[in-house]
Amino acid sequence: MRRGRRILEELDRDIREHIERETQDNIERGMTPEEARYAAVRKFGNVMRVKEDTRDVWRIAWIEELWQDIRYGLRMLRNSPGFAAVAVLTLALGIGANTAIFSLIDAVMLRSLPVEKPSELVVLRWSARKAPRINGYMSSGDCPSNLRFGAANPSGCSFSEPMFREIRNTNQFSGVAAFANAGPLALTGNGPASMISGQLVSGDFFNTLGLRAAAGRVLELSDDSPTAAPVAVLNYGHWQSSFGGARDAVGRTIELNGVAFTIVGVVEQRFTGITPGSDYDVWLPLAAGLRISDPRMWDNRQDKVTFWWLTILGRLKAERPILQAQAAISGIFRNEMLHGSIPLFEAGGMPGPPEPRGGGGPASRQVVIGGPAPAGARAVPPPPVGGSQSSVVVGGGMPPAAGGQGSARVPAPSAPVAQGQAPPDTPNEPRTFSKPDDEPTVTLVNAQTGLTGSRGRFANPLYVLMFAVGIILLIACSNVAGLMLARGAARQKEMALRLALGAGRMRIVRQLLTESLLLAATGGILGIVFASWGSHAIVSFVSNNQPRPLTFATGLDLRVLGFTGAVSLLTGVLFGLAPAFRSVRVDVTPALKEGFSASTKISRGGGRRFSIGNALVVTQVALAIVVLVGAGLLVRTLQNLRSLDVGFDSHNLVIFGINPSLAGYKDAQIDSFYRDLQGRLTETPGVKSASYSMVPLLSGALMATMFHWPGTPQDRQSESDVLEVGPDFFSTMQIPFVAGRGFDSSDYGIAAQARQSLFSGSKQPAVPTPVIVDQAFVAKFLGKENPLGKRFGQSTASQDGPASPGYEIIGVVRDTKYNDLRREISPKMYVPLSALAASFEVRTAGDPQALVPAIRRTVAQINPNLPLRDVTTESQQIDRLLFQERLVAELSGLLGLLALALACIGLYGLLAYEVARRTREIGIRTALGAQRGDVLRLVVKQGLSLALVGAVAGTGVAMGVTRYLKSMLYDVKADDPVTIAVVGTLLVLVALAACFLPAQRATNVDPMVALRYE
Amino acid sequence: MSTKEERERIELLQGTLDLLILRTLLRGPAHGHAIAKTIEFNSDEVLQVEQGSLYPALHRLIKRRWISVEEGTSENNRRAKFYRLTRKGRKQLKVETSKWDKLAGAIARILRPAG
Repeated sequence: MRRGRRILEELDRDIREHIERETQDNIERGMTPEEARYAAVRKFGNVMRVKEDTRDVWRIAWIEELWQDIRYGLRMLRNSPGFAAVAVLTLALGIGANTAIFSLIDAVMLRSLPVEKPSELVVLRWSARKAPRINGYMSSGDCPSNLRFGAANPSGCSFSEPMFREIRNTNQFSGVAAFANAGPLALTGNGPASMISGQLVSGDFFNTLGLRAAAGRVLELSDDSPTAAPVAVLNYGHWQSSFGGARDAVGRTIELNGVAFTIVGVVEQRFTGITPGSDYDVWLPLAAGLRISDPRMWDNRQDKVTFWWLTILGRLKAERPILQAQAAISGIFRNEMLHGSIPLFEAGGMPGPPEPRGGGGPASRQVVIGGPAPAGARAVPPPPVGGSQSSVVVGGGMPPAAGGQGSARVPAPSAPVAQGQAPPDTPNEPRTFSKPDDEPTVTLVNAQTGLTGSRGRFANPLYVLMFAVGIILLIACSNVAGLMLARGAARQKEMALRLALGAGRMRIVRQLLTESLLLAATGGILGIVFASWGSHAIVSFVSNNQPRPLTFATGLDLRVLGFTGAVSLLTGVLFGLAPAFRSVRVDVTPALKEGFSASTKISRGGGRRFSIGNALVVTQVALAIVVLVGAGLLVRTLQNLRSLDVGFDSHNLVIFGINPSLAGYKDAQIDSFYRDLQGRLTETPGVKSASYSMVPLLSGALMATMFHWPGTPQDRQSESDVLEVGPDFFSTMQIPFVAGRGFDSSDYGIAAQARQSLFSGSKQPAVPTPVIVDQAFVAKFLGKENPLGKRFGQSTASQDGPASPGYEIIGVVRDTKYNDLRREISPKMYVPLSALAASFEVRTAGDPQALVPAIRRTVAQINPNLPLRDVTTESQQIDRLLFQERLVAELSGLLGLLALALACIGLYGLLAYEVARRTREIGIRTALGAQRGDVLRLVVKQGLSLALVGAVAGTGVAMGVTRYLKSMLYDVKADDPVTIAVVGTLLVLVALAACFLPAQRATNVDPMVALRYE
Repeated sequence: MSTKEERERIELLQGTLDLLILRTLLRGPAHGHAIAKTIEFNSDEVLQVEQGSLYPALHRLIKRRWISVEEGTSENNRRAKFYRLTRKGRKQLKVETSKWDKLAGAIARILRPAG
């Protein structure tokens, strides 16, 4: 546009010439020179407008005006750096906090699955009115399931392998894949023995997902057959970290649980696992499951319709609507459920394959739902005593749908086991899974939403935090709006001048909006910086509290940037619009004539303006109260959980898991291995004592069992938590005895015999298994009756299994928490542990962490090929258990303080401005004899009353809002008066401080100076 | 100029001024004031041109390269900008004129269908 600029430079001269010519013409027509000039000017029109219009011709107007606005805005901001700094910082904090939390939500919940065309992928989900009568159920924890004893409307995502094969044959999908956890695997043949996590996948898994190999090849259908050579595919990250990314890793042989596998390839880098947040080091074909598992646990599940353990994915065909496919699959499922195309039950007289089910056989029922397999849970065999017991192992990660309080462990790397069977049928009834009115159906759920994995556990805290940061942003907005208003008042003269000079009101509004958008944009950019720090800190906090590092990739993607951009824009408009419109609603003449500070008229007009200022401050205080009360409740929840008496000494306790069966130990060998290890550990310097149990306390894992209590109806089952423990467990954990004695070696002998009979079908011991119960058990079942010597759980031989002598109580111990801090203490029985995977508890004299190397050495002395799992301390474990509470309590506490600070800055700003504005008034008052105290009171009264009004309003809102926090609270009510009182007091105190500075300044006003000031 | 009644004057349609300027310049280069005068004179002072509005229009035409501008000396020896129709402008004038004729004809037919 250089051409234009040259011509424009002469425009003034051209116009002048033009008017002179016209004047000349008019004079020639006989007008007087004055008349002539006047007529010429009139004829020409508005010179300013003409110039403006002419310039407009030469530019793409809005861009140029925008640029002009921006330059002007920048200049204005440069001229008031204090204002700009406070505003930008405030906004950056608000926007940054929002971006940080949103980027987490994005990473955890919104990012699409790392597969080809994820929208086509569906996960199959069954539901029914009543639980299907099957005898094995395993959930991989990828998808919420709701299956508990007798629970109504159960649902889940696990299916039997025959069902999977049938679905694959129906041709409803363009591809079908199934997967299940392989559980923790002992890896040998690549450096020192270690535990890795693996997933069993069907041969067409990778092809269905559209994934390629980064090296070698992915699994193929031919790999997934019992006769195929065992092969494995590595995770890219695991390949890099454990194999150094070496090309020749492909083709190498590794041992998993003692079975040789050939590495055939590495999956492309983007894929670390199908479910967000849970990844796997290695993938094996489904058919390999049998080789790496304890056959008793495996239970020939590959051919059983009664063992549900596979999560099934389908890729929709483009031409087939989802509902059509769903109807077809649902039909197959229903058919299977109602008519059982394959013989269903081996038990109850129906001839079934003779398998090593153990004496308890089909009648023993064991359910492990969801959670992280505790060391032992993978190998949880039926309960030690045959008969009609059932035991439930509810792993920590009870599906989020079921309340999400399960535990603080990610339910990913686990292979929970469920074995169960329908209640005994009458012999003539046809054996099917369900009845028609149970309405068994299958729903196809988009994999993105269906595979929640650990997401569910993060959803609530993240939403709460998102709500909190949303409020922070509102406070920041109204804070900056207040600043802008005050500044707008100061700039009134300028605006009046510009209006008088003919600037369009819209042009001024646009100018002011540009300024606020500039502030918001700068705040947004700075906010992104804050956010990336913040989200990294949060992710590492979360990750440090997981048994395995989480793999949620946070970072800036387009969605996050878009969010931040939108938030900044919205913010800018929100806090900029009102002050902008206010500034142009100026009555030009008085504003120009009198200036703003001396004019009573403006002051009065200002009354209205400052009522907006007051309203903004009240809003900020109220919003801050809401955040503070929420944070206070969450902090108190954490305190309550922390100070809880867990019933044992949780300090100086090292915990690790071990599974000798992975190294080839069998039954009795396992017991003697444990004794050996226990002895050597106790002799290790720094160790006070050592013991072991099936799962550690407060690890999230929970087991329960069912039995018949004497005196109750014959068909009624009672339930109790159960934990199998080694010798000296109670003294090591420091759980005091209330009555009776601990287990001795003959007790362990009985338990070992009972276990042996379970698996081999050998004769049951004649004597009942000795058990130790806790006070809750006594309270529930025995009342005042003497518990010692009490027998229960006997059963006679039936179709459910051989006769069982049941249990006998030999001791009573103090109550302890079991899996989780929040769960109420329930009746619990301790049983002697025999031949299972176990977790060791080592009581140390000093810092437990320091003893870990010595403990590792001790284990390696016995057998170097036995990897330890989950080496941790009890305190760390509790911290992990509480991580969700800690996350929300700490973050929301921080956000609460931020809200408080912002609100008080807002209050301070308003009062400081008020004092400056009223300098003259204060001067007059002082001159008329007002005392220091009067002036002080004048300012503090305004500030304090604003704070109080805000606090009251905020408390009201908070009471309405905190109800939604209820599920996250512990031992504190949503309208806890203490929290509210503390928060209110804190706020008033801080508000007082905020009032004090301006008030101080007001008392220092020298009346003479103030009066002369004008 | 108040010799005519206000209501007899016609506000120029958007873009018409451009056409009139081009038409005026067909006779040869002229400076701004002369163009204004010519339009006024030729339309028997019916067309109300606020003289100032000439300038944005002139600049618009320059920008479109329909007219060019050169320094020159006017009849009474004063320096002035002379605007000259370019070849492109000449072509454009033809297009605009035929468009205008069509428009005027169409409007006339609608307003006086019988005629």
